[in-house]
Order: sequence, then structure tokens, then C-alpha cells
Amino acid sequence: MPAVIIYIEHQAGALRRIGLEMATKGADLGKSLGVPSVAVVLGAGAEKAVDQLKQTPVDVIAVGDKVPIEKIGLDPAVDTLAALLAERGPSHMLLPSSNAGKDLAGRLGARLRLGVITEATDVAVGDGGLTAQSPKFGGSVTASISFKDSDVGIVLCRPNSFAARKEAGKGEVIALAPAAAADRGIVVEESVTQEAGAVGVDEAGIVVSGGRGLGGPEHFDIIEALAAALGGAVGASRAAVDAGWISHGHQVGQTGKSVSPSLYIACGISGAIQHKVGMRSSGTIVAINKDANAPIFEFCDFGVVGDIFKVVPALTQLVKERKGA
Amino acid sequence: MTFTGAPYVLKIVVAVKQVPDTNAEKSFDSATNRLNRSNVENVLNPFDEYAVEEALRLKEALGGDTTVTIVSVGPESGREVVRKALAMGADSGALLSDAACAGGDSMATAYALSLAVKSIGFDLVLTGTQSTDAICGVVPAALAEHLGVPCLTFAKKVTVTDGTIEVHRETDTGYLRMRAPLPALVSVTKSANEPRYPSLKGIMGAKKKEIAALTLAGLGGAADHAGEAGSRTKVLATSAVGARPKGTVIQAADGNEGARAVIDFLVAKKVI
Repeated sequence: MPAVIIYIEHQAGALRRIGLEMATKGADLGKSLGVPSVAVVLGAGAEKAVDQLKQTPVDVIAVGDKVPIEKIGLDPAVDTLAALLAERGPSHMLLPSSNAGKDLAGRLGARLRLGVITEATDVAVGDGGLTAQSPKFGGSVTASISFKDSDVGIVLCRPNSFAARKEAGKGEVIALAPAAAADRGIVVEESVTQEAGAVGVDEAGIVVSGGRGLGGPEHFDIIEALAAALGGAVGASRAAVDAGWISHGHQVGQTGKSVSPSLYIACGISGAIQHKVGMRSSGTIVAINKDANAPIFEFCDFGVVGDIFKVVPALTQLVKERKGA
Repeated sequence: MTFTGAPYVLKIVVAVKQVPDTNAEKSFDSATNRLNRSNVENVLNPFDEYAVEEALRLKEALGGDTTVTIVSVGPESGREVVRKALAMGADSGALLSDAACAGGDSMATAYALSLAVKSIGFDLVLTGTQSTDAICGVVPAALAEHLGVPCLTFAKKVTVTDGTIEVHRETDTGYLRMRAPLPALVSVTKSANEPRYPSLKGIMGAKKKEIAALTLAGLGGAADHAGEAGSRTKVLATSAVGARPKGTVIQAADGNEGARAVIDFLVAKKVI
């Protein structure tokens, strides 16, 4: 029977928070539509994700630990999800707005002729089926988008958009066999870890970003210290990334990631439009910059005109004291 | 980009998109919910510049008969962004500008684009990772699916060795080293290269380069798969997001005073 299918990404069985957010949203949508919610987790270690998914409100947890995405890329995931959609009948699918999520959505949309809504910040059931809210043109516009000429479609979900809710003990676990797939000859030779353990900047609840004002890569330690004290992630402006001070994975802005944490602290970042479009939807924006004329002071909630090398370490100390209290 | 192996000729196609300048004010037609493109300055999608640059570096490394063809789907004004890629050094261009493709969503556009790419013929298709206007990021994968070739996206490094392509696919913590046989599609991230500016000679030369005019019917496309008619999503409404109000900005006498003010603000707002 049709379902709301939720594709859950994992790292060796560990879910990211977006997985829990989507499981909750998918289960709620399923309830509204009167269909079951099915969380799908694929690849080696998928079975280890079951315990976490059992803490979410999803109805079914489909485990495809033999689907070899870690060996030959996403081709077998596309084939397995396409087979699942064929077996289930017309089903909605939620995917995370990650690199893999975008690839799966694009390929399934093209193969099965399904509509794809991207960067959804909210999804609800309305008169004509699902309606999603999606920021366009650098977040200057919000579009309300639904599916047409089809009852179902694919929604890519932006992290930090839906609440995650715990509901213990639910979730019937079923095995998902790999679909027979056309081999396109892709081989994953190795997975190289350059930065271990970093929280993805796009799904962190708090982001502390550094920019040109840091003056060099060796000064990112003050950003890292504040982020660590707050339990947040490290972001960066394009200037810092282009200077080679930090990797592109940290970049917030037009040619980097779009983030919407509850708190965004911009340190030594001028706040050009290309940066603004990536963080304007943050809950609270704090800016620290020595240039009183920096554009970031025009749209931050609280700004300090001052020396980041003095203010940021002092702030780190105060946060630590407060947390210790 | 690096190249090893025997002399090797590639037919490279780069898909590009015309987008409104990020700095421009946008307005929407209230009847169609489409962007009013007439009164904004349009530019080559910044993400696509990395794909064009990667193609040119590959061509320079391979030399000889390797060709770079630029293809775009969009309004007639898209000719200018194809021209910019030609000025950067690409050999030829093609523009599918057809009322039957107008108003298409990402999937309908990927379909039309795939027909144009197939008509040109390719060993390697290069794209950016997303556009700055729609921010979908799904067209490269959809294009690979329509073309039936390996889909290697989010590449920060591209290497061609004879008939094999190897990429470093960006991950949050590093990269995956992946390879596939050609023909293939690769989307290129901004970490791959630093795009060049067109030289004066390039700009002059681009004026003489051919930009083929394609039509959906000429490509054998189905009108009910392209454009607004072929789209399976519909924009119901658009609303402008209001500017963030300007908050409090203080001048800190020293680091402690500044830090204390931030903490007090965050605590008062219950952020921490």
C-alpha cells in the first residue's frame, strides 16, 4: 500500500539529526494522509540505525544493509528505492537536502517522472495533497509549492526545519533486499576523512563563523573554541575559504551551505549579500566586527563593534563559566 | 584537473544556466508566479563557471581535437551567458530557447537539457552543482539519469585516464574517491578550480563562435514532458521575505565589555 517513504542517511549506523526530524515529519504526514510512514536506511551498518529509529514515530523501518552504496555509489540505492516505490504504489518520498539526497531525488524524479520540491522548510497536507515551503533566490522569496498531474512526489528537506519528536517502542522492522540493478561501473575506491567528528554546519543548532577579519588560518582556533563551548559548528565566509584558511565544507553563503541555526555568530565577517543569503534565516544573528560600517550590522540582531581577538575569547570564557554554573 | 595516459580526445559538453544577479532586486508576476526576468541583470550562474573552467583545463591538458561545447536551456537572453563561456575559451555553443520549455521546473528542464546534450553528443558532461536562483541542486543527477550514464556529482577533483574518469566527491568530513567509465556526467564544486576571466581576445573571438539555436520539436522532444506543461510541481504562491530589522549595535570599549553584552543579550532572548 502507498506510504510516506523517508530516506534516512547514516554514518556507520549513526543518524544525523535531520534523520530524526524527517522521521517525525514523515510520520505526521503519513497520519494526515492515512498511510503508513516507512523509514528506509541503506548500506553497511544500516541495521545499527534501527535503535534510534525506534525512538521516532515512524510505522515501519526498512533496513537494506546489503545495498552496497559504500562500494559502488548511489546506483543501487536508486534502484532499490525505485523498486520500493513500484511495490508500494504511489507514495510520497522525503529525502534530506544533502548531496546524496539531491542525487537520489534527481534520479528518481527523472526515472519515474515525479515532481521534486527542493529545500523544503515546511511540508503540510492541504486540499490538493502535499504543499511545501521553499526559499528561492537566496531566501529573498518563499515559494509555496505543490505537486501537479500526479498525486505524489519527492520532497528534499532542509535541516533544522522540523521538530524531532521521540516516541519509544514503535516501528516494525523489515528487511529490504537490494533491487537487481544495472551496473554502470562506478567504483568507490576509498573514503578519505580529512576532518573527523565535525558537526555538519548545515544542521548545527548553533554556528560560529569566521571571516576575513581572522587574518589567517592559525586564528580559526578562537572560532573553534567558541563553537566548542556553545556545542555548535564552525562556519566560514567565502573570503576565509578562498584564502585557504578552512575547507569549503564550512562555507556559508551563496556558493557554500545555507544554514538556519537558532543562533549564528559572525566573527570578522562583513556580511556581503553572498554571505547573507546563506544565513539570513537563522533564528538570532550576532555579529562581531571592528568595522562599524560592515553591512552585517544592518541585519544582525545584536552587534558588537570591537576586536574579535579580544571579544571572542572573552565570550568563550563567559559561555564556559555559564555552562559550568 | 589532471590528465594521464596516451593522447586522448574528449567531446566535452558543459551545461550552463542564466540566472538573475544575486544583488538584483527581484519581482514576480502575480499571475504566473514566474520571475520578472526583464528588469534584472542576468549572469552566468556562478556555480557553472567552475564547470566551464574544469572543461577548459581538461581541453588544455588534452590538446588537439578535444572540444568544449556549451549548452543552455532558457530564454533567448541566455545567449549572452553561453557567449560568456565561449569568451572564457569554449569552442561552440547551443541554446534551446523554446516557448515549449518556458516555466519548466527542475525535472522538466533536465528533460529538455538531456535532449540538447544528446543531440550534441558527448564523452563527458560537466555541470555546476546548483543554480543560485532556484537552488535545487537536482538537475545534474536528473540529467545523468536521462542520459543513462554514471552520475559523479559534487566533485572537487577530476582526473581523466584514457576511458576512465576519477573524481573526489565532497563529503562533510572529506571525500570519496570514485571512478567510472566514460561517458559520464560530473558536477563540479567550487573547490575544483578558480574560474578564469574572459580575456579581451576571448571576448572578441566569442563573437564569431557559433551558438546553435535548438527547438524542442527539432530535438524530437515531447511537449508534455517539457516546460510548464511537463512540470509535476506547481508554484502556488510566492511571498517576499521581509528584511531582517536592524538590531542593537554597541561599541565595545574592550573585549570583556563586548563579550558581556553579547551574553546578556543571548540570555535575555533565552537563546542560551
